[in-house]
Amino acid sequence: MHIAEGFLPPAHAIGWTIAATPFVVHGARAVVKEVRENPESTLLLGAAGAFTFVLSAIKLPSVTGSSSHPTGTGLGAVLFRPPVMALLGTVVLLFQALLLAHGGLTTLGANAFSMAVVGPWAGYGAYQLTRRLGGGLLGGVFAGMAIADLATYVTTALQLAWAHPDAESGFLGAAVKFLGVFAVTQVPLAIGEGLLGVLLFRVLTVNARPELERLGVLTPEPDDPREVSRDQVREVSRDQVREVSRARAPDEPPRSER
Amino acid sequence: MTGLAIDDAAWASAWRPRSPGDKVLISLGLVLSALLLPVWPGSVLVGLVAVGLALGPARVPARTFGRAVRAPLAFIAIGALTTVVEVGSDGVGWAPDAAAQAGSLVGHAMAGSAAVLLLATTTPLSDLLPALQRLRVPAAVIEVASVTYRMLFVLLTSLRTIREAQTARMGYASIRGSYRSSGALAAAVLTRSWDRARRLQDGLAGRGLETGLRVLPETLPASRRFEAASVLGLAALAAVSLVVA
Repeated sequence: MHIAEGFLPPAHAIGWTIAATPFVVHGARAVVKEVRENPESTLLLGAAGAFTFVLSAIKLPSVTGSSSHPTGTGLGAVLFRPPVMALLGTVVLLFQALLLAHGGLTTLGANAFSMAVVGPWAGYGAYQLTRRLGGGLLGGVFAGMAIADLATYVTTALQLAWAHPDAESGFLGAAVKFLGVFAVTQVPLAIGEGLLGVLLFRVLTVNARPELERLGVLTPEPDDPREVSRDQVREVSRDQVREVSRARAPDEPPRSER
Repeated sequence: MTGLAIDDAAWASAWRPRSPGDKVLISLGLVLSALLLPVWPGSVLVGLVAVGLALGPARVPARTFGRAVRAPLAFIAIGALTTVVEVGSDGVGWAPDAAAQAGSLVGHAMAGSAAVLLLATTTPLSDLLPALQRLRVPAAVIEVASVTYRMLFVLLTSLRTIREAQTARMGYASIRGSYRSSGALAAAVLTRSWDRARRLQDGLAGRGLETGLRVLPETLPASRRFEAASVLGLAALAAVSLVVA
């Protein structure tokens, strides 16, 4: 749910931009540090940003008949941590404003605050809390993604209510109105996105276990027979075959490289 | 065809060879005018100028522009309606100045959206991102954003191909199946993005480029005449709006 261009009065647009800036700068610092230490992470972070953008092209069927698209902020927070997500989320919001006409430029600050700051932090908190309480990875992912969505939606509704208070009942009345109107699409979406996260991680824990371990989502289990994934096994054995063939015929290029 | 209509329009636009700075000047000027000037006649003029410039000199296809303008329409309509419906002690009713308030909100939002679209449909993001360096955005951040831009079309194509295959196998025939397919689709696109990033990195490292994709930005010279016309036009727009309002 992105606030459209021109929908916030100037003072609010400036205020939210100022509010979001420290988080985005903090995220930018984290990214600059990461890139300086591991130059190869530029491409991984770029891929993460592209994935977050592309995720919004997946349509989730919803019980109410409408279909809505996932925001991916909770997923990003679980995989890449909230500070990095503050920056990536803002970049994705800029891209959505300029490539899909979703959101806007003067409302970028307000949207970044709800989707790239509040959503990821709330989702990450819920994820960590669920895992600590023994909810497991999948329970944590469900809580993280659903709460990230709900937190984003509540923040956006409150932002709108503050900018456009009700003529009679003021901010509270407007908050009730906006929360009620957008609940129709956003509450099913939050549950749907939580479910999507569970299904996604069920696939990832089988197919991309090394990546999840590298990101710190899963801890390596030394006795787990699946610790080396199928891809890795293939790579290891291919390398060994090459070594062996090189050792056997040092002057001849190996067959596969001819 | 890359799959995103606005991006296609930006590459094909007649304003593509113009300096990104020039286009940012006129578009941001219009965006701010839409926000700050009174809705009548300010926002209406901004909307007309933005649409006129996009369809006229910049030669953006009217269909693309029209479709893109519709994207935020649902939000604007629901948001404006919610604002003007009043919840009081005596139930639900219209706010006293409902029509004026809704008109003003919709006017500001539509004019602003049209002005943002003028920039979006004439300037590819790969032209805009290097210009961010002037705003003291760190180079590493710009590079990550550029990789995002370059990679998202490949991932979008992957996404469409996988979804087509899933649909052909009745993957979206039921709600249950749709969720299972969506989960598998997201997982496949995510692992592909990692795989692609790793392969790109290997390829670049093999060529001695260890700090990412460094490319020379195309030099698009700024036009003094365009800039002067933009500033004069914006000033005239502001003057007319303030005098009439």
